[in-house]
Order: sequence, then structure tokens, then C-alpha cells
Amino acid sequence: MFSLFYGLWKYLFSKTEFHVLILGIDKSGKTTLLEKLKSLYSNLEGLPPDRIVPTVGLNIGRLEAAQAKLVFWDLGGQIGLRTIWEKYYEEAHAIIYVIDAANPSNFESSKSALEKILRHEDLRGAPLLILANKQDLPGAISAEELARYLDLKELDERLYMFEAISAYDGMGIKNSIEWLVEVMERSKRTETLRMRAGAAGQV
Amino acid sequence: MGILFTRMLSSIFGNREARILVLGLDNAGKTTILYRLQMGEVVSTIPTIGFNVETVQYNNIKFQVWDLGGQTSIRPYWRCYFPNTQAIIYVVDSSDTDRLVTAKEEFHAILEEDELKGAVVLVYANKQDLPGALDDAGVTEALELHKIKNRQWAIFKASAIKGEGLFEGLDWLSNTLKSGGG
Repeated sequence: MFSLFYGLWKYLFSKTEFHVLILGIDKSGKTTLLEKLKSLYSNLEGLPPDRIVPTVGLNIGRLEAAQAKLVFWDLGGQIGLRTIWEKYYEEAHAIIYVIDAANPSNFESSKSALEKILRHEDLRGAPLLILANKQDLPGAISAEELARYLDLKELDERLYMFEAISAYDGMGIKNSIEWLVEVMERSKRTETLRMRAGAAGQV
Repeated sequence: MGILFTRMLSSIFGNREARILVLGLDNAGKTTILYRLQMGEVVSTIPTIGFNVETVQYNNIKFQVWDLGGQTSIRPYWRCYFPNTQAIIYVVDSSDTDRLVTAKEEFHAILEEDELKGAVVLVYANKQDLPGALDDAGVTEALELHKIKNRQWAIFKASAIKGEGLFEGLDWLSNTLKSGGG
């Protein structure tokens, strides 16, 4: 009996845990972003940027932000390791795509990696936050300029936003996360994932 | 260098008892790595028979090594070594492609253990000096590392014989443990 009520209580009041994938090519600043998120939203210190080494695997951050439970998956961006990205797609509620806005020579490969993500069936309907990172560096282009450059064609029904941030000093991050939580809460994809999890839970 | 790492680790764990398990199939190079880290010279090792646990104690951190695979009857005893484990270092012979499937199965089986749920995972794609060794992407694929979604993991190419790649991995490990990974 107790477990019945507990189950109901949990069903009504427990928060959904959102899985957010942080992607982007190598050196775009994904792990720096994750560590900044840890220091902004939890009592963990987060590694200082000078201690961060290239990721060759998976980093995880579990945080509460904007009244939601978030699990961030930060995957390594080196070309040989990108093959594992898609193994995480199916369970992701949303994508954060990080671009080094101060390094134009990388824009082309950032664009093609992103287009590949957008074409992937397993990410259908996943909200997309594109971050023009490294605004602390001179020459970083704005979110609007980046949007114009990327000129993405396959965004039709997807909820998306471009935002200028600095993972180094924290500029723009809170805004971005608030937007992300808000769209995840109302996205169809969240509904789909919840139903799939419910169905799996009953087996 | 070994001493430096010891200092890093003790600054992370303070006075807490901590454990790092060094696991892998027989002949993966586990003991060689441990010796290499400790004193910078390779000591030849005798294959472990039965359930033989090698322990290296660094201040309050125990490194414990044993072979996975083999007799199932002794496996329940492995659990004696699980409590307080902060990290698992999984060592793979990247050139032994015939046994990578076994390495994968044993690896995922041990990750299922309740008491190891909080441990972060460092994989050494060892024996990069041998011909035909798979690189880090290849070993990632073969071990199906992508199935790990609830804990931090990283993979490093290594050659224990040459001493390459080992400290890069340990750097990652100490950073991860410090930033509260898991």
C-alpha cells in the first residue's frame, strides 16, 4: 500500500531528469563549459580552465538548474572519437553544440559536424542550443554572425537558439541554460522519451 | 614522477581510505604498469594463478590488482575488494584482438557491481608498441565503452614497456576525482 502511494507521489512530484549532450569539435571548449556549469550550479568547484586536458571519453555533470535536474554528457571531440557521439543520441533530451567563435579556420569543420548531427534520425526533435563560445577572446564573432555563417538548412521544426557565451568567464551561460530547460520542458521529444521510459519500466 | 602522482592523490583523498582497482585479463600488463608508476623501471612479472591479489599501498590509497576471467567459483571473493573504490583502471592488451570480446564482457560485468557504481573508469589501451595494436578509437569500439552513461570514463593509448601514456591517464584520473567526478 505504501509503495502504491509512494509511486503516485513520485509520479506527481518527482522532476524529470534531462539528459543534455554537449558536442562540438575538439578545442571548442566543451569541458570548460561543463566545469563552469558545475561551479555555477553546484557546490563543486569545477576544474580551472588551465587544468583541463582534451577529453578522450565521457565527462559527466549532474546539476540542478532552473528547478530542473540535469545530467550533462560531455563527449570528446577529436575526429577518431566522434564515432561514439551517436551512441548517446537516443537518450538525449537536447543538444548543446559548442563552437570556438574566435577561430574562423574551424568554422567549416564545425558546420559539417553539426549538419551531420542534425541529419541523424535518433536526434529528431531534440532542442538545439548553439553556443558561440570564447567571447572573452578578441575577434570572437557574435551569435548572429555565427548563425549567418552556418546558414543551417535543416532546422525547420526544431527548437533552437544561438547564444554568445564565454565558458571561461561565465558570460551568457545562465541565460542559455534557462532557455534550454524551458524548451526541454515543453518539447515533444521529452514527451516521447518519457513515454518510452514508462513503457520500458512496465516490462 | 611517481612521487608527484602520490602527492596529487593524497591531496585528493586526504585521510580517507581509498581504493583503486587495476583490472584486466591476464597478461594485459597490469602489474607492469603498477611497477612502472612506482619506480620507473619494468619488473618482469609471473602470470597470476588462481585468485592472487597484488596490493600496493600508497599512504591511504590501496592499488589492488587481479586478473579478470577464468574460474567462476572464486568470483564471489572479489567483492571483498570492492568497498570504497574510487576508480577502476582497466588495462587491455590492444594487440590481443582475439580476446577483446572476453575483455569487453568481463569489463561490463564488473561495472554492474553495486559497490562499484560510483567509481570512475580509466582505460589503458596498452601494448601500443606491438604490431597490430588497435588505437584508442578501436579499443573504445571493441569494449563498447559508449554503454557507460552514468559515470565518467576516459581511454588512453599506453605502452607500459616504454612508459608511454601512463601519466596522461593518471593526470586525468586525479583531475576527475578532484572535480567530484562519478
